[in-house]
Amino acid sequence: MFGRDSDDNAQRLRFTRRTLLIGAAQAGVFGLVGSRLFRLQVVEGGRYVPLAEENRLNVQIVAPMRGRILDRFGELLATNREGYRVVLVPSLAGNVKEVLALFARLVPMTEEDQERFVQRAWRQPPNVPMVLAGDLTFEQIAEVNLFAPQLPGVRTEIDSRRQYFHGRTVGHVVGYVGVVSRLALDDDPVLRLPGMRTGKSGVELGMENILRGAGGQIKHEVDSRGRIVRDIEQREPVRGSDIVLTIDTKMQARTLARLSREKSAAAVAMDVTTGEVVVMASVPQFDTSEFADPTAGRALRRMQTAQLNPMVNRAIRGAYPPGSTFKMVVALAALEAGVVKPKERIACEGKFELANQVFRCWKRGGHDSSDLHKALRESCDVYFYELARRCGIDAIARMARRLGLGQTFDCGIALQKSGVIPDAEWKQRRFGKGWLGGETILAGIGQGFVLTTPLQLAVMMARLATGNAVTPTLVRPAPGEQFPVPPALGIRPEGLDAIRRGLFAVVNEEGGTGHAARLNEGTARLAGKTGTSQVSRASSERANSDLRWEERDHALFVAYAPSALPRYAVAVVVEHAGSGGAAAGPVVKELMADLLAQDPTARPAYSGVPGDSTIRADGDRG
Amino acid sequence: MVSTQQRDGRTPIAARLLAVNWALIALVVVIASFGVAVLYSVASGSFTPYADKHLLRLLIGVGLILGIAVVPMRFWLGLAYPAYLVALTALVLIPLIGTEALGARRWLRFGEFSLQPSELMKVALVAALARYYQWLPPNRISRPLWVAVPLFAIAVPVVLVLKQPDLGTAVLFASVGLGLMFLAGVNFFYFVGGALAIGGLAPVLWNHLHDYQRRRILTFMDPERDPFGAGYHVLQSKIALGSGGLSGKGYMLGTQGQLNFLPEKQTDFIFTMLGEEWGFVGGVTLIGLYVVLVFMLFGMALFCRSQFARLLCAGSALTIFIYASVNIAMVTGVVPVVGVPLPLVSYGGTAMMTIFAGLGLAMCGYVNRGTQIRRETLGAVGS
Repeated sequence: MFGRDSDDNAQRLRFTRRTLLIGAAQAGVFGLVGSRLFRLQVVEGGRYVPLAEENRLNVQIVAPMRGRILDRFGELLATNREGYRVVLVPSLAGNVKEVLALFARLVPMTEEDQERFVQRAWRQPPNVPMVLAGDLTFEQIAEVNLFAPQLPGVRTEIDSRRQYFHGRTVGHVVGYVGVVSRLALDDDPVLRLPGMRTGKSGVELGMENILRGAGGQIKHEVDSRGRIVRDIEQREPVRGSDIVLTIDTKMQARTLARLSREKSAAAVAMDVTTGEVVVMASVPQFDTSEFADPTAGRALRRMQTAQLNPMVNRAIRGAYPPGSTFKMVVALAALEAGVVKPKERIACEGKFELANQVFRCWKRGGHDSSDLHKALRESCDVYFYELARRCGIDAIARMARRLGLGQTFDCGIALQKSGVIPDAEWKQRRFGKGWLGGETILAGIGQGFVLTTPLQLAVMMARLATGNAVTPTLVRPAPGEQFPVPPALGIRPEGLDAIRRGLFAVVNEEGGTGHAARLNEGTARLAGKTGTSQVSRASSERANSDLRWEERDHALFVAYAPSALPRYAVAVVVEHAGSGGAAAGPVVKELMADLLAQDPTARPAYSGVPGDSTIRADGDRG
Repeated sequence: MVSTQQRDGRTPIAARLLAVNWALIALVVVIASFGVAVLYSVASGSFTPYADKHLLRLLIGVGLILGIAVVPMRFWLGLAYPAYLVALTALVLIPLIGTEALGARRWLRFGEFSLQPSELMKVALVAALARYYQWLPPNRISRPLWVAVPLFAIAVPVVLVLKQPDLGTAVLFASVGLGLMFLAGVNFFYFVGGALAIGGLAPVLWNHLHDYQRRRILTFMDPERDPFGAGYHVLQSKIALGSGGLSGKGYMLGTQGQLNFLPEKQTDFIFTMLGEEWGFVGGVTLIGLYVVLVFMLFGMALFCRSQFARLLCAGSALTIFIYASVNIAMVTGVVPVVGVPLPLVSYGGTAMMTIFAGLGLAMCGYVNRGTQIRRETLGAVGS
């Protein structure tokens, strides 16, 4: 009995010992688990809060309405047309294939299209809606909504499409919108929305930030399947601001009608004091009204591959050798440098020699001798060869830039070309070679490397006419604001006056090359300069009529009027039309006469108040 | 003292009820009430479908504890081996006639009634081992043959549930079984040697794991590796716990749980649900309650005079400890997700009843803490 008891007691003791051991081990394990919990929840807890929020919240961006574009008198050029569309969110659809099959019974959709959407649903992020169909009628939308319970993930939306008016007239200026390119995806989440369009050219691109507006936001709380549990926050989108252009659509249309007699040409007319571009025309034209979906892609491709590139706005993207229209730059550079006096006469025997190179005057027999006045009037090349030689390329380049050449302008329109105003440094950078003396001589008559756009030439004329650094603009200032007053160029007035008298003589004096642009008797006088710029070497050896069209000279004419108190500056380029005076002069004459008769910049411009209910109604303009 | 010293089976039921450890019952009710509260939140503020049934099971469970506790201990002593054999037979039958669900074969179905033999085994294994060491004279406990017998009795069900496959239950059988052998007094060196042997055998074992089990272990190493696949559960659980912070997001305000980002939140991941809404404070409180419960059961064991009663108490303590620690370690990403519920809190009738049955046996042992069982009455041991 005793042995049994002692046995039992020994067993009990051992059990107690081992229980303490196991208990200690268990306390240790619980301690470890607890400390793990402490690290997870207290020490590192903050790391997980945003992750939980990311799970919980679904942020939907609401597209803003794009601002409209109007001309200076309030004519609507670009607006938004509202339509119905249907989108599908793959993550909410469950079986995309089945949903599409049912949907196709309401809104016809081919089997291939269905298959295409099924494929796309696999590839794209599951929460991004796909646009199944657009441009639906109200009846179709009502039917889709009726079947909504059987169509998970499908929802109807109002979408807005860009619609253009006068697309053939202002297409180059207004530009167009298109699908957001991958490269353009910036920080604005609005751009990731399906069906979102951004400006691709013209003012649509140049003023994109103003036109676009700001996206709204709807924050939902969603469950793990993406179903909306409740709304958290809703922020309305801010409508993009309207843009009022400086363009006069009617005058633009008339100008284009005149230019259309040519294969390809461009014209720019601007107010010399404010810099407002009233006409910016380019031929051949293209029609942005054709860009309405769904054939947009096809129309666009047709245009892009068409002959003569109708998509190109030649007024800002056509870079032409300015030819004789560059002579004012050279003269002014020489006058400012003091290397010539207006009255100094320079002999012309029809050619100019420099280091074994011969440069010819356009007039084979020569001009005897010319002072500045005569040299401008009759466009004597030898006179300007000599001036160029005297002041050098760097002085010419500096003057060219002061007059607005070789640069783009922040004027609301995108994709301008800067052209080329060469100097020694430019050539070194571009070709890695030193500047040659002969190249200065060529630049003296606006040939060689020099390239300018019609817009730049118009600016040059406005600056010559006013002596101020006028900058062009295509956009009217916001209501209550004024155009900035341009600063003076700081060029000596005697020199400018000499140039202006020469430009007057070109059109109005005996022997001038620009008689074709002379305004009718009894009206204002026009001052200007012709330019015939050589495109190929061939044109110096043969008559233009013997050449193929692409090899013929460009015809240029730049002008301002009235010469006494300038109001408008104009630049016209007709591609491959031969003599500037003959081909471009009449266009300038008609355009300037029209401008002076209508005087668009003197008439009250559209200020955005009357008849502008859509903007005022939602009150987002304060 | 008088009542417990009376002969077994003769004590009035009222007296046995007085001998019950009511503090333990109260603690069980408190822990299970955590479950009721969290399950109410799991259903987004509704007693259906979880909280009401959990509460009902708690009431039945308390009844079960008391019911088992007042039955004479001899009855359970006698039932220990038969119960083990029945459970073992059922486990063997499963691969032949079992019903498959969720990729595992765990159930035996008899018409409307279905039985999960592994649950029966959880109780039966404890009882059988307790019965074995009650019978085995102390001087033979560490003899190789008498060590091999219980080892075999543990290994067979472990292998059988691994085949189902049910890694969680296998871990439980092995740790509870070995824990009881350790407490019964088997020589220390067996455990040291065994640990070394398992270390050597680990690569072999790895080859016998199912693909999904291996994947679980691998993704456990780096759950972010596969956030939408196997690592999703653990990742979402960690997000829920982490974002819950010190004091939680508030009752019924846990976004991860309420918005269904949390998987299995009424069963295996219920601790995460609690941790998200009640924070570290809530989680550590529950852990504390488990510590008290486990230690209380060990304490009860120390009061018992028979090895059978002691091991019944210890078996229940070990079961609850393994369940609770593995579950919490699992949802906090310390161990792989092996599918172990949180005892008394997770929703699920069978597992809960198993816990209650184990607690009932422990309580029965405690009620009979003064009783000694003569070894001779259990049959002679071959000399």
